[in-house]
Amino acid sequence: MPTPMIVLDRVTKTYPGTAGPFTALADVSLSISSAEFVVVVGQSGSGKSTLLSLLAGIDRPSSGAVQVGGTRVDALSERAMSEWRGMAVGIVFQFFQLLPTLTSAENVMLPMDFARTWPSRERRDRAMSLLARLGVADQADKLPSTLSGGQQQRVAVARALANAPSVLLADEPTGNLDSKTAQSMLELLGSLAQEGQTVVMVTHERDAQRLASRTIQLADGRVVSETHA
Amino acid sequence: MLSPRWRKVLRDVWLHKARTVLVVAAIAVGIVGAGAVLDTWSLVRRVTTAEFDASLPASATLLTDSIDQALLVRVRAMPALADAQARRTVTASVRTRNGSQAAMLFATDDFARNRVGVLKPEQGEWPPRDGSIVIESSSVEYSAVQLGDSLSTQFGDRDAAALRVSGITRDVGLAPGWMEHIVYAFVTQATLRQLGAPASLNELQILVKNRSMNREAVRRVAADVKSLVESTGRAVSDVAVPEPGRHVHAAQIGSLLFTQGAFGVLALLLSGILVVNLISAMLAGQLREIGIMKAIGARPAQIAAMYLAVALVLGLVASAIAIPIAAVIGRWYAQFTADLLNFDISGFAIPSSVILLQLGVGALLPVVAATIPVVKGSRIGVNDALRDLGISFTAGTSGAWLSKTGSIARPFLLSLRNAFRRRQRMALTLVTLSTGGAVYLGAVNLRAAIVASVDMLFAVQPFDMSVRLAEPHAPDSVEAVVRGVAGVARAEAWAGARAILRRNDGSVGDAFPIAAPPAATTLLVPRIVDGRWMLPSDTNALVVNRRLLSEEPTMMVGSRVTLLIAGMASEWTVVGAVETGPSLAAYAARETIAPMVGSGRVSAVVVSGSVNGAAADFELLQRLRSSLADAGFPIQSGQLMTQQRSVIEDHLLMVAGFLGSMSLLMIVVGGLGLASTMSLAVLERTREIGVMRAIGARHRSIVAIVQIEGLVIALLSWLVALPLSLPMSVILGRAFGRVMLEVPVILVPETSGVLVWLAVVVGVSVVACAWPAFRAMRVPVARALAYE
Repeated sequence: MPTPMIVLDRVTKTYPGTAGPFTALADVSLSISSAEFVVVVGQSGSGKSTLLSLLAGIDRPSSGAVQVGGTRVDALSERAMSEWRGMAVGIVFQFFQLLPTLTSAENVMLPMDFARTWPSRERRDRAMSLLARLGVADQADKLPSTLSGGQQQRVAVARALANAPSVLLADEPTGNLDSKTAQSMLELLGSLAQEGQTVVMVTHERDAQRLASRTIQLADGRVVSETHA
Repeated sequence: MLSPRWRKVLRDVWLHKARTVLVVAAIAVGIVGAGAVLDTWSLVRRVTTAEFDASLPASATLLTDSIDQALLVRVRAMPALADAQARRTVTASVRTRNGSQAAMLFATDDFARNRVGVLKPEQGEWPPRDGSIVIESSSVEYSAVQLGDSLSTQFGDRDAAALRVSGITRDVGLAPGWMEHIVYAFVTQATLRQLGAPASLNELQILVKNRSMNREAVRRVAADVKSLVESTGRAVSDVAVPEPGRHVHAAQIGSLLFTQGAFGVLALLLSGILVVNLISAMLAGQLREIGIMKAIGARPAQIAAMYLAVALVLGLVASAIAIPIAAVIGRWYAQFTADLLNFDISGFAIPSSVILLQLGVGALLPVVAATIPVVKGSRIGVNDALRDLGISFTAGTSGAWLSKTGSIARPFLLSLRNAFRRRQRMALTLVTLSTGGAVYLGAVNLRAAIVASVDMLFAVQPFDMSVRLAEPHAPDSVEAVVRGVAGVARAEAWAGARAILRRNDGSVGDAFPIAAPPAATTLLVPRIVDGRWMLPSDTNALVVNRRLLSEEPTMMVGSRVTLLIAGMASEWTVVGAVETGPSLAAYAARETIAPMVGSGRVSAVVVSGSVNGAAADFELLQRLRSSLADAGFPIQSGQLMTQQRSVIEDHLLMVAGFLGSMSLLMIVVGGLGLASTMSLAVLERTREIGVMRAIGARHRSIVAIVQIEGLVIALLSWLVALPLSLPMSVILGRAFGRVMLEVPVILVPETSGVLVWLAVVVGVSVVACAWPAFRAMRVPVARALAYE
């Protein structure tokens, strides 16, 4: 049996609130293998985004353990977590979150710059190759504000792949796209998984489940169903 | 090639040009303020130490009878002395393009071999020849004389002689002629004789061998010289020992520079606060991007380095702008200060260490100011950063009471609430504006206090002019002549002497003047601070002024002191202490002093006219001249009290003026602070403004909301500045009193100053908010609503 890429062991996440603590995830255990394309669905407030934050190392569980690519993420220091995040995961956001003052290519080069994964002379070539792979090489020297939503999201995916992460995490990546572009984006993520990239995607898109290798449904912070394709 | 993150840094700076300009301006103003004072200090310090030291200033000056070569040879042979020189100082008058002016003529035993108080020839001939005159540099502009002019010079009532102006020379040991309203000049002994003036040399200037001696040690050497002079049968009437190595005005200028330096540093700190405000706001606007960068792997240190680098670059740019401006102002101000000290600053470069210090402070100030907000911002959690919704408002105390004020119009209420939304930022803006206000009001109060003090000084001398006779005469005869002159209301003949305190340990103090009006004088009514004024029944009663008392604390009221007057020791009782100004002074009855110094005769008359006004005073002085001359009492010089007052005020108000200029600098910093606060407020509320415009707010309503918010902050700063100005007035008044003149502390802010400051803050607010208001008005609704 292959070593799982992601392991969540009895993870609970509680947020303090004015009306008392709010449990976003309750005792969740999960295992995701390498090259899986996992789709996480659920209603608003079900804990999808919290799950993704814990996997991305941008939040810590209140209890339990999060392991990604063999690293106990929740045990890392802030500094180590930042370094790990730059190397091990790529994140795609719903609102693209490209830096507005950098061109597409520069946005893609930025993670390499922070993590120093590629020699500086090779970074642009790598960025161009990723943009070409995602079909937006001709937008390389344009600012995000001049691109369409679909183009921006492709650039965002290219940026997420910049440091060749073991896991690609996508938070509602189609939430801000029209249906045609959204479909194209889902197919792109599916193809990445087929090429060996582990992908975990939070979405409302029903069509996504068709492309996924596994669908996990969350409700009130708990896993209520798991469906394998 | 720059990496993407540094390109982002540069583009952000360029994208937010207005904010960048504000930060640069804020830092630059601070550096200009502190840098200009630092430049001035470095230049003035160099001339006042190096130049003054090089002039070999007299360690002590003894006043005695005629000094001849034999005495000079004996004095120069004393082991403790490096050199000695004999001099004569004569008061005369010169007729220039500016009219008749008081002159002080100096002659020495050998101008060609200038041994003590070395002069610095600047133009024309040196030394002066018989029949010619060399003008001291600081008197040239005041007297409007030029090289080659024929200068009509008169001693007393003797015939005026035309002396050719043959040269210009500088004497760094003299207070500037333009400031003292005296034409200083150098002539030979033969020229003095030609003028009919006494030509024998009576001042012995000595230079000690060990230049590092303190004042007490120099006093001991001077006492030895005095003994030697007295052993030759001459009387020594005065021994003056200045503070070694210090120019006569150095303490005042040093204190002035120190005070201004303190305000320069304050301006720098205030600009630092402004930088904190701006960098915090910049980070607040960049929170989402910080979150994104952290999400893709940026470490807090990398984020912090990016923003600190921005601060460093802005600091360097500000320094590049400010350092040359500070140098120009510093050089100008140093020249001005040097003029006060009678030095020439030209040829002196600002030391590179001083420039480097400014560069270091300019570059590091924004980095230091930005460190806390940057570190805080770079440590924010990714989720928190990505969820940042911009400015929020929680109804705290301000919100609660504002909600209850139902009668206030909604837009005005909105402005009031807006002002309190970023409380920390508002507090910092208040600090900068109200500190500027407090300094301004403090300077206004100081100015009022100075005027009150000068008023008081002249109120104690209710006469309009004083006349010095060429020779002493019987007081009754002189008074009779003066009282017979048309326009004279009151007149008193005063005696005078110079006295030296002999302390209990045998040492002697500096010489000080004793003014001796009649015991029943009505033309001298000083404010008694301790004891009483002298009475006709007193014997050897002395009244001292506060300045003398602070120099010689043993002369307290009730004490018995020994004074050396005209070489003779006499016992006195100090019966009172009075406040009469910044110079050392004591008072005794004419009836006691006149017999001691002039066989009962006097050489000064003070006169009060029956008609007020400068023209009437001037005419009366002319009539007195001719009437006294006709009666056989020729006068040596006459001075109007209005002239004397303007000399004193020129000296004193200059300080208040400088402090006022420092407050202007702080007002600029405060104005920049308000402008930045309002720009950021508009930027942060672009969406709100869009909403307001979408629901029908007109342009003028939007402008009013922004302007009123600015006015609320400005008016609050005005209110805060009022109580803050009180300790500032006390600090400034005390600092001024220590070095110049004790002034009353005015605790109630001057009404005019308060109103002017109100107008200034309102004006600053309107100007500072104009651009933010214009921007708020111009943002299209759709863009405003889409703004993140």
